[in-house]
Amino acid sequence: MNVLIVEDEKSLSHEIEIFLTQEGYQCDVAFTGKSASEKIYVNNYDFILLDIGLPDMNGLDILREAKEANCESSFIILTARSGVEDKVAGLDMGADDYLAKPFSLLELQARMQAVMRRKHGLQKNTFMIHDFEVDIQNRSITCNGKNVPLTKKEFDLLNYLILHKNRVLTRMQLTEHIWGDILEDDYESNYIDVHVKNLRKKLSAHSPVDWIETVRGIGYRVTA
Amino acid sequence: MKLQLKLVLYNAFSKAIIILAIGAFLPIIIRQVVYNHIDKRLIARSDKVLQIIRLGGLNEIMLDQDCSYGSYNIFKEEFINIEPLHQLDSDIGTIMIEDDERQFEDEILKHRVLSEAFLFDNQLYNLEIGEGLSTVEQLNNTIWSFIIWTFIAVVVVSVFIDVGFSRMLMRPFYRIINRKLRDTQHPTQFETTPVKTNTYEFSYLDQSINEMMNKIKDTFLVEKEFINNASHELLTPISVLQNRFENILAEKNLPDDVADKIVESLKTLHRLSKTIKALLLISKIENSQFLKNEDTDVRLLTHEVLAEIGDRVVHKNIYLEEKWDDDFVFHHSNKSLLHTLILNLINNAIKYNKTDGKIFINGFMNPEKKFVLKISDTGVGIEQEDLKNIFGRFKRFRPEDGASFGLGLPIVQTIASFHGLEISVESEKNKGSTFSVVFPSIPS
Repeated sequence: MNVLIVEDEKSLSHEIEIFLTQEGYQCDVAFTGKSASEKIYVNNYDFILLDIGLPDMNGLDILREAKEANCESSFIILTARSGVEDKVAGLDMGADDYLAKPFSLLELQARMQAVMRRKHGLQKNTFMIHDFEVDIQNRSITCNGKNVPLTKKEFDLLNYLILHKNRVLTRMQLTEHIWGDILEDDYESNYIDVHVKNLRKKLSAHSPVDWIETVRGIGYRVTA
Repeated sequence: MKLQLKLVLYNAFSKAIIILAIGAFLPIIIRQVVYNHIDKRLIARSDKVLQIIRLGGLNEIMLDQDCSYGSYNIFKEEFINIEPLHQLDSDIGTIMIEDDERQFEDEILKHRVLSEAFLFDNQLYNLEIGEGLSTVEQLNNTIWSFIIWTFIAVVVVSVFIDVGFSRMLMRPFYRIINRKLRDTQHPTQFETTPVKTNTYEFSYLDQSINEMMNKIKDTFLVEKEFINNASHELLTPISVLQNRFENILAEKNLPDDVADKIVESLKTLHRLSKTIKALLLISKIENSQFLKNEDTDVRLLTHEVLAEIGDRVVHKNIYLEEKWDDDFVFHHSNKSLLHTLILNLINNAIKYNKTDGKIFINGFMNPEKKFVLKISDTGVGIEQEDLKNIFGRFKRFRPEDGASFGLGLPIVQTIASFHGLEISVESEKNKGSTFSVVFPSIPS
């Protein structure tokens, strides 16, 4: 998949590029609004990650321009500006999602996948992880046809771990994904550990779950 | 007291004073004028009588020299009386005029009486000429009652006129206050078109308010710009660091001790970013960047919050009880901010609770018809001396370990005052805390 990263902060753009390249995306970068406009005009991107606070123009103008030109790309707005209006305006103009900086790269990828699923729907909605079949559409997990009842948060947690399989996710990253942005200074708490414990218990009743690994001092990892 | 009412009262009062003064002095003046006339007439008459006597002798008037003479007309309005004097009280030719009551047959009547002593044929006589005062009294009474009635009529009519006039006069004032100040939800929506008035004071007021509001508007916009820029300048570097750390953490063959340090750094960075975001949120609320245009059902919102963090209640094995005596829909509110408020309160009730503790949520109308949301916990509680500080920013509670409650409650406080909510807290150390949110009463 082709991604255009429109971000004037070069080091940030660079980190996003490293991450997305590792995850198998083809990345292109633009540091100014002008070059972004040109690139969008010439190339066909699946994703455009758009910073609104560009030095030479407002990112929302790029979005408007692209939408007027019937650009098919999915837009995710990235911003460190705090204006509430920006978010509303961006989504009104047809942006697919909105991420406030600082964001986790893992969250960015999860959002990109969600946008993809929402937009095209043709992606496979079920996949296997070891002996378990996960249905993202219906948010259910089965083992040999038997349903494993999970709470909403347990499912979200498992899904996030699977999405970033073979990568260690910190408790903080997991906490932020599950409870969002709002709760402060709770990262030392063991809520995530309790959820993982329950998850393991429920899954292991059907099949071994040694693939959900605890990485001491850091967090958890799903291997596949 | 309303200025309008004051003007009316003042006008009525001053009119009453003027009319009362006229009412008090006019009869005296009239009496004075009338007496003047009567006295002149009496003097003229006495001169005439004396002249007649001098020319024709007393016999002209008096038939019997020894007898005194008296005459009055049929209505006892006037009389003339000459009687011999044996003793001289005053000098001859001294005219005395005074009010006197005289008896005629069986009637006592008040008269203005002129008395003058004169000498005729070596005999002293006293001449008295009187004129009745009853007409004068009547006139006075008529004027009095006329004045009283006019007074009442004038005051009543003028009060009505004044009420209407002052209402008309004050109209631009209320228009200025309502349109410029009360209806303005946010300084940036301020309307600067002048209110139509030809009263100098009001256009001056209008102009001053416009200037003031424009200054406030500018300040607000400058502050907003600052918040936006600060937000960008502070969060972008954090963003870079966070993403870099995340990438480092994903590197293959990363030594464990380095990974630990990276995770610690991420935590520190997160704390920094949370603090900045919380401060920015408080600033944004205080800068009125949020709209209050939603209807929020408090019970539904509480349930949304519980759905979000209910798992934490379960994990801590907390018994949670809800009791809704009344329901309340909060109009003109910002749902997402209220969500943050309730979430912070309930999250605190969980966070500072003991395992197997209790949380009690109660929604009810208080006697003043205001909706109250009460969240009680059986947690660690707050020391009495700390209670007043819990809503303060960065207040440290246990100085010995340097821990602070962070910005959760200050955010709650800011959201509350943005919405006009009252928040109170009762707490007992080791017993638990109760936070009460009192919503504004519904305007009827």
